[in-house]
Amino acid sequence: MTLARQLRVLPSWVLPLTLGVLLVGAPWLGVSSDTRRLLLLTCILALLASGLNLSFGYAGELALGQVAMYATGAYLAGYLAMHWVNDLVLLVLVAAAAALAVGLVSGIPGLRLGGWSLAMTSFFLVLLVPQLLDLLEHYTGGAVGMVGIPRARLLGAELSSLDMYVVVTVVTVGWFAVMRNLITSRHGVAFQVLRESPILASSLGISVYRMKLTAYAISAIPAGIAGALFAFVDKYLAPHSFGFTLAVTVLAASILGGARSVYGPLVGAAVMQYGPLRSTEFEQYAQVVYGAFLILAGTLVANGLAGLANRAVARLSARWRPAPDAAAPAEATPVGPEPGRPALPTLSGARLAVTDVRKRFGGLQALRGVTLTAEPGQITALIGPNGSGKTTLLNVICGYYRIDSGTIHLGDTDITGRGTHDVARAGIARTFQTPLFPEHVTVREAVAAGAYASRYVGMPAAILRLPRYRRAAAADRAEVDNVLRLVGAADLADATAASLPLGTRRLLEVARALVARPRVLLLDEVASGLDEDEIERLADLIRAIRAAGTTVILVEHNFRLVLDLADVIHVLAQGELIASGTASEIENHPRVLSEYLGVRQEVRP
Amino acid sequence: MTPIWSGLSIGAVYALIALGYNVVFIAYTTFNFAHAQLTMFAIFVTYWGLVVAELPVALIFVVAAVGVGLIALVEEFVAIRPVRGAHAHLVTTLGMATLLDGTTRLIWGDQALKVPAVGSGATFTLLGGRISVPEVVLILSVVGITVAMTVYSRRSLTGLALLAMAEDREAALLRGINVRRLALGAFVFTGVLAGLTGPLVGPKTFAVSTLAAALALKGFVALAIGGFGSLPGALLGGFVVGLVESLTGRWLGSQLPTVMVFVVLLLILMLKPTGLFGTTRERMV
Repeated sequence: MTLARQLRVLPSWVLPLTLGVLLVGAPWLGVSSDTRRLLLLTCILALLASGLNLSFGYAGELALGQVAMYATGAYLAGYLAMHWVNDLVLLVLVAAAAALAVGLVSGIPGLRLGGWSLAMTSFFLVLLVPQLLDLLEHYTGGAVGMVGIPRARLLGAELSSLDMYVVVTVVTVGWFAVMRNLITSRHGVAFQVLRESPILASSLGISVYRMKLTAYAISAIPAGIAGALFAFVDKYLAPHSFGFTLAVTVLAASILGGARSVYGPLVGAAVMQYGPLRSTEFEQYAQVVYGAFLILAGTLVANGLAGLANRAVARLSARWRPAPDAAAPAEATPVGPEPGRPALPTLSGARLAVTDVRKRFGGLQALRGVTLTAEPGQITALIGPNGSGKTTLLNVICGYYRIDSGTIHLGDTDITGRGTHDVARAGIARTFQTPLFPEHVTVREAVAAGAYASRYVGMPAAILRLPRYRRAAAADRAEVDNVLRLVGAADLADATAASLPLGTRRLLEVARALVARPRVLLLDEVASGLDEDEIERLADLIRAIRAAGTTVILVEHNFRLVLDLADVIHVLAQGELIASGTASEIENHPRVLSEYLGVRQEVRP
Repeated sequence: MTPIWSGLSIGAVYALIALGYNVVFIAYTTFNFAHAQLTMFAIFVTYWGLVVAELPVALIFVVAAVGVGLIALVEEFVAIRPVRGAHAHLVTTLGMATLLDGTTRLIWGDQALKVPAVGSGATFTLLGGRISVPEVVLILSVVGITVAMTVYSRRSLTGLALLAMAEDREAALLRGINVRRLALGAFVFTGVLAGLTGPLVGPKTFAVSTLAAALALKGFVALAIGGFGSLPGALLGGFVVGLVESLTGRWLGSQLPTVMVFVVLLLILMLKPTGLFGTTRERMV
């Protein structure tokens, strides 16, 4: 048990790195040359599947184009080695760049429509590979294949097949390190947000289109590299190595290992290479088996072997965890601000001005010329009966809907007609009527996602773990801790966000919005479904946010809460503003009483 | 004129595939990767019926319609019903497509088999181009099917219920529409349609196990051109793809048609991603 606990304390990269070193050193551990070849092919298939994991498992776009990029890398490296320059470093770089170009060219149109478009364009691209090879017969050797590829050279020295094995395994270990650093950084969480809720992603300032394109383009790189390496494995390339069957094999390896995992592809690829791909009879039945496997895996298996392993580890570590630790949180520390809670940092609010905004859905005029302003350091409430246009107005401000006429200004900037992610980056954060949290993401990660766009750290910095990344990660951690303590959820930092009760999730949404340090905070029915204690705590929190200087806009049905909190109240009915004023003015306003509260006026004295 | 006739007739095949995609799209807002495989299966059944078993023509239509309808039924139960979300369906229906491809290869092998016409196979000259009787029948049937389906979806209660369901599944449910049964019916209908049209398509395409992949892609391009959910759009898109293919083959060489269709797809997606008849729906939060 102590050993197990010590193991859990080790950094998470120790075990994979040890296995990686063993893989590279396998030939000196008495592995036969047959096995060596299998390991090498496993590495190449794993590189392909790892790329697919990034675009499919993490970014959520089924893209089968890896095979086309692989073929590009392989043929380009083969041709260049034969006719121009034979240096493996250069060839790998050129192949990766060419594959990236193929990824961008096919990804840009494919992602325009979203959903199935990329799947189909990339599928099309794969079926075009043999035809394109035929068309470029002069360079590729067409159906006969490319023959006469020399042995690869590295810095002038010719590589033996043993050297080649070492190169391939080292490159593979290197790529998986890159992948691990990318996925464990904020970008990994951003990908999961993107996959599960594009709406949430864009409200956090993530451009859905660009992020998906980035994932697809990056996924081309390992494919290109794998191609360049493969060209020198048999020193012969034939079109049938790059067909649709390979695309399905890659997909099967990815799903088998776990599409949403870093190391899964290695396991999936190993199973494929040691199992079915080794038998020559398999080819005849390959499609039937793959087909059945995809149906089964798609319906039954959640995240492949990696998913199984993760669940097993979670169960074991729950058992090993020392008892006092497990007992303490069970004491039911109430969620909510603690006494002597930390102060919010000063936030610079901005004036939000909505001028004569109109929005029509088909025959329904949802907003008929609404004009209102919200000032920094004030709580501006928006109330009105169901269907009066409150949420529509919020969505219009956030850029989910394009307005028919009118303008929206944040401070001095005109944000009319900007995309949602652009509006979010300008400093508008929001919560949702139904809290949105991706599955499998901890509270800490989910809340930290609020800082993704507002304090952006590029992917290269994350992959290389540059000081800039480390500083940002440390700052994130401190800020998230602070905000979690503020909403009273500090002890939940490592829980799975999506599994928490509604009230807690609402508070966490506020926390996430705060991490973005918004200039304007939109709260959409943030109190609904909360009990009285929770509402009390929420009210305190909202007051604290006002005190910090942010512009708060509150859409709410709880009339008492609104009267209690709001500095200014606007009342909407049927898409029109029928009254504006302070709490006491609104409370006694005749039209508010009749249209919103349903009090008949004669009853009033 | 001959390339135009041949383009229209192969275009009619693509339109049929796009119609199948569309019905599933309307009923499930999802994409059935395996629809082209259903058509391919019907073509092989036709080949078997005409050449191997020598069945009477009417019986072949019945066997193909029932057989492929049953396959669609099975597909709905194993690949569509158990999973939710378009992306999960892409994996399972791709699995179904691969499974059907593999099964076809195991049963009928890799060779392209010539499928005889069910009626007269004669060719004649029309407006200065050669065209065969099966081609004329194919074009006219597909136009007829599109018109009938469009009218049916706008006029009949079932059609309207389907459209309502595509618009808002929950609202349709609350209106007392049996959403699951209706969707299942629509899915099986795509199978039956593929079965019934297989004997018409066979003489044009031959029966070969790689056919479905090609049809799936061209059908998708037809769908992208016409716009998701639009039945007339699918017809027009199919004809455009067929004509692009046959005219490219005629004027630019036999290796380029597929590449050209891919270029058309990229252009459509870049310039008008919703297609000619498609509409964008605004997102809801």
